[in-house]
Amino acid sequence: MSSQAKSRGQSTRRLAFGAMFTALALIFSYVEFLIPLPVPVPGIKLGLANLVIIIAIYRMGFKYAFTINCVRIIASGLLFSGVFGMLYSFAGGILSLVVMYALYRTKLFSMVGVSMAGGVMHNLGQLLTACLIVSNIRLMSYFAVLLFSGLISGILIGIVAYHIEKRLPQDIR
Amino acid sequence: MIKKADIILLIVILAVGIPMSVLSLTAGTGGDKVKISTDGQVYGIYPLNEDCEIDVTEDGHTNHITIKDGQVSMSYSTCRNQVCVNTGAISQAKDAIVCLPNRVVVEIISSEEGKGGDADVISG
Repeated sequence: MSSQAKSRGQSTRRLAFGAMFTALALIFSYVEFLIPLPVPVPGIKLGLANLVIIIAIYRMGFKYAFTINCVRIIASGLLFSGVFGMLYSFAGGILSLVVMYALYRTKLFSMVGVSMAGGVMHNLGQLLTACLIVSNIRLMSYFAVLLFSGLISGILIGIVAYHIEKRLPQDIR
Repeated sequence: MIKKADIILLIVILAVGIPMSVLSLTAGTGGDKVKISTDGQVYGIYPLNEDCEIDVTEDGHTNHITIKDGQVSMSYSTCRNQVCVNTGAISQAKDAIVCLPNRVVVEIISSEEGKGGDADVISG
């Protein structure tokens, strides 16, 4: 096989893996939509989709993780949560992705730390968007709940992501 | 699996977050007015101690707010997620019921806050 054909095969592989990751993230979004946590405060979620995103950051790099996340948000917005939900997801998703990637690049943090920061940033981004949309800073009273829920779910997702990433075949990247 | 930097990050987040949470949660007392806003604009201010039913209809969305026995609740909403209805009743200053899809905010304020030049005080 010539090297050109090889590299083309490589990029097709990556495209396929990226598509699989996107589908998996979308399924996780759907599962969370179907089974909401029994709490009365909006925005508390496990963030299962973040499991996929964080592994994508480690294995496939920023560009892929970003694309996977955006496609997931648009698709799940159109399918489940509505256009307004999409807006919140974008604010939270992009803020958390950028922060997670920055922390990952420093090489100082483990997946648990990266995911923890991602969880907090995701909730913060959504809360800030909500404040902007209803132009009411009073919403910040949700801050405490969202901070700790983001922290805890981020840590849990980070632990799971760490174990999955370790067992994932090395050629998935 | 967990590195030292993770722990430091956790401590930093907590160090910033806990004071902010305390600040945002310290429930005020003495709230005696109910302020309803839509889209950031004041829709009306109502006394908390008089029972009252309010329909807020805006852009085809309807939210039904009930003031009863010094408590306010969102008894009906056309929104999809019903988070506002599930919030239940509130009665303390700084408490709020928020309906994000319909952009309706119901909050409890004290009269000093409400006096600030609000012309549209509706009683009854």
